[in-house]
Amino acid sequence: MNLFWTRVLTIAAGVLLLLFLSNDFGLIDIQKTAVVAAVGIDAADEEGRVDVTAQIAVPDASASEKAGNVTIKNARTVGDALAEINRKTGWYPTLVHCRLIVLGEATGGRDVFGVLNYFLRSEFVEDSCLTAMCEGRAEDLLSADSPIGELTAVAVTKVLSSEAQKTGLVCVTNLRDFAKGYYSPASSGFLPLLSALPEAESEGGGQSAALPCAAEEGGTGQSSKEGGKKADVFDASRTALFAGGRCVGVLEAAETLAFNLAATRTDFAYGTVQVQQEGKPVTYELKFKIRSKKVRLTLDGGPAALFRVRANAQIADASRASGVVEIAKTAFVPDFVLRAAEETLQENLRSALAKAAAGGCDLFALRQKLHRRYPAQEERYAAGLLQAAQPVFDIRFDTVH
Amino acid sequence: MDKIKLRQICFYFACVAPSVKFIVYPATLTYEAGNDLLLAALGSFLAQGLVLAAVFWLSSRTDKTFFALLQGAFGKAAARAVYGAFALYFLFSALLPMLEQRSFVMLVLYENVPSVLSYAPFFAVSAFACSKGFKALGRAADLALPLFCTAFAVLIALAVPEADFGALLPVARRGAGIFRGGLFGLNWHAECAYPLFFLGRFERNKGDAAKVLLSFAAGAAAVLLFLAVFYGVFEDIAVLRQNSIAHISKYTTAFTSLGRIDLLFIFAMTLVNVFALCVPVQMCVHCTHAALPRCGRLWPALAASGALLAAVLLLNYSFLEMQQLVTQRLWAVFLLFAYAVPLAAALLFGLREGKARPAPRRRAPQSRRKRAPRSHRGREQARRIHPRKCRGRERARRLHAEKHLRQKRARLHTEKRARARSARQGAPARGGREEGA
Repeated sequence: MNLFWTRVLTIAAGVLLLLFLSNDFGLIDIQKTAVVAAVGIDAADEEGRVDVTAQIAVPDASASEKAGNVTIKNARTVGDALAEINRKTGWYPTLVHCRLIVLGEATGGRDVFGVLNYFLRSEFVEDSCLTAMCEGRAEDLLSADSPIGELTAVAVTKVLSSEAQKTGLVCVTNLRDFAKGYYSPASSGFLPLLSALPEAESEGGGQSAALPCAAEEGGTGQSSKEGGKKADVFDASRTALFAGGRCVGVLEAAETLAFNLAATRTDFAYGTVQVQQEGKPVTYELKFKIRSKKVRLTLDGGPAALFRVRANAQIADASRASGVVEIAKTAFVPDFVLRAAEETLQENLRSALAKAAAGGCDLFALRQKLHRRYPAQEERYAAGLLQAAQPVFDIRFDTVH
Repeated sequence: MDKIKLRQICFYFACVAPSVKFIVYPATLTYEAGNDLLLAALGSFLAQGLVLAAVFWLSSRTDKTFFALLQGAFGKAAARAVYGAFALYFLFSALLPMLEQRSFVMLVLYENVPSVLSYAPFFAVSAFACSKGFKALGRAADLALPLFCTAFAVLIALAVPEADFGALLPVARRGAGIFRGGLFGLNWHAECAYPLFFLGRFERNKGDAAKVLLSFAAGAAAVLLFLAVFYGVFEDIAVLRQNSIAHISKYTTAFTSLGRIDLLFIFAMTLVNVFALCVPVQMCVHCTHAALPRCGRLWPALAASGALLAAVLLLNYSFLEMQQLVTQRLWAVFLLFAYAVPLAAALLFGLREGKARPAPRRRAPQSRRKRAPRSHRGREQARRIHPRKCRGRERARRLHAEKHLRQKRARLHTEKRARARSARQGAPARGGREEGA
């Protein structure tokens, strides 16, 4: 190959690389693209219509992210609303970086997949984005001020992180998992129920104003209230239950924890137990390390849901003063505390199962287990399985040896 | 002559061919067969394995090319006609996977909407690869091996923790769906026809069929594992995930801090897929070149790549229609060209050629080969240099020795003539030249 052809090929390779890497020939200029970090969907006043709020991340030279919320009211569909954002603002919204979808409380009254299907249809939306329901309107939640000065969407995704799931505080769900449940034979699912609590106040980096000492130091507390701005914290310890795409019930924080301990990817959790000690109620904060867990469906002698949990526990805190030796032996949990913890978990699991069964939500995937393990008997048991399944508990907490 | 090595054929079946089954095939299979997708795919692989075994059985009985076999049996015109038909078939079979990959690249590798031009460079690569014949195919298979193994291992390792293999239960509940899944997936199981065109173009040894079938089984196992993980990750919504290779590994929790590192391995797999997509076009060019040798390779390569580029531009927004047309209505084309013709050819020519030429004997590796007794060395040497017996490296060595001998003889002859000339002219001639200088 002579020098001429070498040069021609080098230039051609350069042009091809430019074509591949620069995307200068793309149909949409990157400069006119609005990066949507979160989408909030609310039921509009008009029947069958939706209000869509897009939280758009605006990159800043100071490296701090700013957000702008754009709300489209009374849109026919979510896709229509996003197209309208483009028409009204001139920005083309891209959902590639959308990490959060928040459904307003009122959307739970009808099949939520009427609005969520847009995200499943489009390849441009990642179905790994977190999905949650919120109290009130999603628009208000996305407008809340984060206490640590970041995007509301980022603050909420931290509350719904996989670490929160591992510690059992939140039932974290992404769009894929929620859709899998909806399109399964049971047509059930669950979402964390978000609520913005106007408790925190921030000044610059943000500081809690709920400290009693701040009230005592009158001047300091006053200046903090005047100079600081109100900020919200987010709570997602409750769980909304869905059947056929509609919200049919809510699990409280203790039930959510019990559900996580028995059936999800939680392997390290904190829980409280109340016992009577020397005639007084004492609260123990226990730290659990789950060794194994399983929920099984058996049909011998009628359908039964068998919950098997094995965990190690140790004391994290107690509501009464303890001796120095007792504190040193924090790994050893008294037997009566362990038994009380087992009882508490059983009660909470029974309560969660009852709530789910009442709403027709297959929280523990019993219907799915019937379909997979007992296909021959599916027709016989499928209809009333959730109500007929009796819980059987095999739960044992051990102290660390 | 257009040659390929058996090792490269093995690498092709183990690493290159599976990569085209990681994009739309899993979702299509799920649409028909549901959670029984593994059974449908297994059926297709068994059918392919049968065709491969038949073709390599034929290769063990003849060292002729498919064209020579056709020519010997039916005449040159018929051979050209069959190759022409195969050229058209290969061009047709290349189209859907290309549209598939174009869509994949546009959706997954770009954040906003790229223009159709962004995929056009592929056709330049394809034209170049096709103009080089089977050598380029073999070299691509060599390159693909490490890329495929690394990318596949990492993507599967990232996806397995998210997979619930219980979703594959209950087994074999969709009888007709399994059959339809196999039939409509023939477009992705058409590579079993390629070895027919490798006949007479690789060095034959005993055990070739076993090596290729083992490689094919390894590739099939990789695809089945991928399908199982894919269905385990997506369960009932698997049918919605068209670009499956881009989705299975993105749920791992490591990405919260690192970002989507799996995209690096998806890029690697896309590169392997580029090699795989070139193969049917290479086959098309090979058949055209064999049918019309005057055309050379370059013009058919440019024509095939140009035609495919035009088709891709024309069908830019018609992928689903094309997919339905090719998989659900034209599956018989693949059944005919990828299965029926190779099988029939193997049986027909295998039985004919078997009597004339026995299968080659396996030769032990050099290290294990027994050294012949001194008294037999002459015979051994004679056997080695026998033109019908010697092959490969021995042949090269013999040719080199012969060339060296010829050169030596020529040199001696030249020197002898020079000495004779100088003897005739005597010493003054040299002196005169020196003087003249």
